[in-house]
Amino acid sequence: MFYVTIFFQYVAQYMKTRLEYRADLLVEIFSDLLFQVVNLIFILVVFGHTEFLNGWSREEIIFIYGFFLVPYALFSSFFNIWDFNERYIVKGELDRILTRPIHSLFQIILERMELESLFGVVTGIAIMFYAGGELGLGIRWFDPFLFIVLVLGGVFVYAGIFIMIACISFWADARTSIMPMMYNIGNYGRYPVDIYNQAIRFVLTWILPFAFVGVYPAAYFLGREEWFGYSFLTPVIGAVFFGLSVFLWNEGVKRYRGAGN
Amino acid sequence: MDAIQVQDLRKEFKAYSSRSGLKGAFRDLFTRNYKIVPAVNDISFQVKQGEMVGYIGENGAGKSTTIKMLTGILTPTSGKIIVNGMNPHKERERFVQTIGVVFGQRSQLWWDIAVQESFRLLKKVYKVSDADYNDHMDHVIKTLDIEPLLDKPVRKLSLGQRMRCELAAALIHNPPLLFLDEPTIGLDVLVKLKIRDFLKEINEKYNTTILLTTHDLTDIEALCERVIMLDEGNIIYDGALKSLKEHWAEGKEIQFEFLERAELSRLEELTSGLQVKWDLDEKNQVFTALTGDDEESVSQVIARTVAGYKVKDVKINEPSTEEIIRNIYERGMA
Repeated sequence: MFYVTIFFQYVAQYMKTRLEYRADLLVEIFSDLLFQVVNLIFILVVFGHTEFLNGWSREEIIFIYGFFLVPYALFSSFFNIWDFNERYIVKGELDRILTRPIHSLFQIILERMELESLFGVVTGIAIMFYAGGELGLGIRWFDPFLFIVLVLGGVFVYAGIFIMIACISFWADARTSIMPMMYNIGNYGRYPVDIYNQAIRFVLTWILPFAFVGVYPAAYFLGREEWFGYSFLTPVIGAVFFGLSVFLWNEGVKRYRGAGN
Repeated sequence: MDAIQVQDLRKEFKAYSSRSGLKGAFRDLFTRNYKIVPAVNDISFQVKQGEMVGYIGENGAGKSTTIKMLTGILTPTSGKIIVNGMNPHKERERFVQTIGVVFGQRSQLWWDIAVQESFRLLKKVYKVSDADYNDHMDHVIKTLDIEPLLDKPVRKLSLGQRMRCELAAALIHNPPLLFLDEPTIGLDVLVKLKIRDFLKEINEKYNTTILLTTHDLTDIEALCERVIMLDEGNIIYDGALKSLKEHWAEGKEIQFEFLERAELSRLEELTSGLQVKWDLDEKNQVFTALTGDDEESVSQVIARTVAGYKVKDVKINEPSTEEIIRNIYERGMA
């Protein structure tokens, strides 16, 4: 309960600051939007000539992309820990975090949130409605609830992976370039995994389970029954990866060496 | 009750030493040479509630490492710490509720938002009730004279203004124990004095324990009765500041200016047999005699010098704490 109160306190503070810099906010939303449009155009161009890709139609792939945008938007709003190493370890900002009576990871999430990324949720849902309409998909009464569960599962998969990578900084001093690479790999999850070879598919399912952010949960809404098993595994994978990452984080904090003055 | 209990506290860091040359760099890839460096070497001490303790030492002596272990930021390699009845690292979130921390080189406040917004957020973080906050902070804000700064964003404050706000922020939950790491670094004299007065006041009013590290020994002289001195991870002195002075003061420094031209050799001759060392500042023609430990020597040196030359001015200087401490470090040991 205390954490919920604090969460909204930070959100309120964040909005206040953001509204002071209105121009900034608009530019950021605009560039976010532009990025998504470019991605969509890319998909349209690629599928302009082929109707099907390994049995997936163009609309289905657009639908998966739309779904992917939702957990991705939530992830990028709240888990901006890609610069954790520089900001918190090298500069020693974690010192300050650790002198406050809130869990350290939660504080970093609060400090680094970027709520304008939430706009991606709207884009994502709009794309899904468009593609779903083309495909003639209906909405049953429990679909919205399942949607929320699957989206949250996807968010936790993403968050878990990135928190674990951030944790490397507790053990290794050197900076790594894993973070940007991981953002790239993350994008593979939004295409149907059966277009890749077996090895990549295995990695995207069990090692870096980005497929659980896009194609697997989306397959449920597309009525692709052969994937349902994976679809319903989404919240489980999310819980496992996120749980593991929090455990690693707590262990890592014990090993934090601090930055010299 | 002791606010801080530290027993055989030790913190080791692994330090990698790289080999030289390209060949060495390749070998480093496979087997790294590292040695274990103790930053804090089995130290023990206690601090009573309400004490103001100065924690001093050169850069790298282990001050910050100790403070970070006491505040729960770092986990000790071995040894026992009990602060406010808790183990700082194990019960971190409950523990930090009972301490206030000011790191001079690091801001506790949010850069972009107004000072009062930072205070308000911290008030929520520390679960301070409105009544307690108003009662306590009104006084803090008035004493530190930060009322006019409250609606300004932190990035627009000067260093002195920011430090006063930092101090206020550390006290929002009125903690019984306050850690100050270099709180007056880079501040002008007036702000320093204001901060010192304020610290004295809260110490008297709330019996707040204060542990202070600083390079500015005048801070320590103004505030602390007790000092703990650290060198290479070991405590080399723990006791009253006054007895440190008495114990380590090595005689006095007497400065002479003469009406006539004086010779260094002649002065040495005059005071031969006494424990004294003469020095000459050529530019100002000031002669300095450094006397030994022995109590008599001051009057002896003056008596004999005055007998030999006509004196224009005599000054007797007591060595400053700074000099004493420099002395101790130069000789490496207590």
